[in-house]
Amino acid sequence: MIEISSTPIAIIIILGIAGVVLPVINVIRKEKGSNSFYAAIAFAALIISIAYVGYQFITENILPSALFSEDVIIDDAFGGFFAIAMLIVAIFTTVGSFNFMRKQNYPAIYYSLILLSTIGMVLIAYSTDLIMLFVAWELMSIPTYALVGFIKKNPQSNEAALKYFLFGALSSAIIVYGISITYGITGSTNIGEVIQGYSNLDPGLVPLALLSMGMFIAGFGFKMGLVPFHQWLPDTYEGAPPTITTLLAAGTKKAGFAATIRIVVLGMVVLNLDWTLALGILAIMTMTIGNIAAIMQKNLSRMLAYSSIAHAGYILIGLAVAPHSSLGLQGSLYQILNHAVMKGMAFIAVAGIVTTLAVTNLDKLKGLGRRMPITSLGLVISLLALAGVPPLAGFWSKLMLFGGALDATPALWWAPWLAIAGVLNSALSLAYYGWIMRRMYFEGETEKRVSEPKSVIAVMIFSIIFLVGFGVYPDPVIKFVEFATPVISNGFMP
Amino acid sequence: MANELTEFVLVSVALLGIGIYGLAVKRNFIRMLFAVEIVINAANLNMVAFGRFLPHSGGQTLALFSIAIAAAEVAVGLSLIIVAYRMYHNIDIADYRSLKG
Repeated sequence: MIEISSTPIAIIIILGIAGVVLPVINVIRKEKGSNSFYAAIAFAALIISIAYVGYQFITENILPSALFSEDVIIDDAFGGFFAIAMLIVAIFTTVGSFNFMRKQNYPAIYYSLILLSTIGMVLIAYSTDLIMLFVAWELMSIPTYALVGFIKKNPQSNEAALKYFLFGALSSAIIVYGISITYGITGSTNIGEVIQGYSNLDPGLVPLALLSMGMFIAGFGFKMGLVPFHQWLPDTYEGAPPTITTLLAAGTKKAGFAATIRIVVLGMVVLNLDWTLALGILAIMTMTIGNIAAIMQKNLSRMLAYSSIAHAGYILIGLAVAPHSSLGLQGSLYQILNHAVMKGMAFIAVAGIVTTLAVTNLDKLKGLGRRMPITSLGLVISLLALAGVPPLAGFWSKLMLFGGALDATPALWWAPWLAIAGVLNSALSLAYYGWIMRRMYFEGETEKRVSEPKSVIAVMIFSIIFLVGFGVYPDPVIKFVEFATPVISNGFMP
Repeated sequence: MANELTEFVLVSVALLGIGIYGLAVKRNFIRMLFAVEIVINAANLNMVAFGRFLPHSGGQTLALFSIAIAAAEVAVGLSLIIVAYRMYHNIDIADYRSLKG
């Protein structure tokens, strides 16, 4: 039985009340311009939520990472881990939006939609029932459709929203179809019972189970940006308001991974298939195509969008080797947390550049290092961390991922190739990251320094401390990740 | 009884095929939205049919949730289409070309 003081319920109550009250206050006050007031309410709600999650962890009220429950949600460490990652992303988005939203209308609705979408993302990681998972999935998606098209007069924003909406609606339709098949062959929607139903399935029904798993991979893969399903992603990331791109790249994408770990990884283990090869091929394709396409881009948001496709590939390595190496899954979770911070920071830097200079074309970024020093420093550190350069946090998560691939070698002869592909791709990504850095620091005439948005500076400083601090001293995060990673081996049955 | 279930599932698979075909071929935005709706309804039909043949009512509950959520989704989608129509006076997806890589 879930109590009202448990973390997911508390987060729903805190964020839900703030999210519903914001537009009501807007109607009562009848004024348009008080962006900072609404931002402060949203920020306070998010800070209270993340403090509550942290408090629950410190007082050890959270169960160790369990995968199943009788209820529709479970208050476990896996969900708590994702809740912290998603809330950090939502805080980045709220703080980073502060300067951006000054020039836009309807700030109350904007922040309210961010809060509602955050509830969805957090609940996905907590849910242990397919109905709950689907409702949370839609709660996450529907506000983001509106947010991507939030700048109504801008044709790019609208086109990005239309593309995102079509692919998003298709992905949720495919997920519902997968759920319907799963329900039909196992007679339940509780994930524990589904897994049990899969483990003693009539041999004639196994193809249907496979079909449902394929539909889950396709449906979640749309949001994660895996390669055959990635066409919408660069367009949407480029056209959306840059702050909302942060929410998409660092938030909704990670929620897709949470859902995949909850369902697909377990289901595939039970169905006893050689599915690892399929996920491994998807991983290699995703990172290679993402990186190669990124090299050819001329627009900063678009380049970062392809780089986030490539990162979905790295994270997928850990899922592919999960049944044979717990290190791989831990690496995936660690990379998810790091990527949330790194990509969030990079896109907030882009948002800062767009609000002050209104450029994203790489040719126009010449001399940015002198015009906006702190934002540029943040962007450089996030790019280095994304490439996995040693003293930063991104290095440790990649090390764990590739180590996990090597760890699985006795069971999977091709697993080292995953690590090799990952290392080669990291080197490749350093090439285009280096290109951005060269543009920013070594080209262009000396230009005057412009004043940088304070909110962006705040995000930059926090993330630089996070990336450098946990890069030099990674032990606490690694312990946290180990605590949060579910154990997938022979004895995990419900 | 078992025969009837097969018929329901066959209809649902046919609807799924029609929906995917519509998405792949049509270029009018509203038609594509309809295609997505057909896929969702195929899933709903599946769930109601399975729920009818299983000893509990989970399938019907799930179908109700899915119908309500699909309605919310369509509301957002139609509002995006209205904004696009005001800008372009056209809802042909082939005309939207401001974003390219």
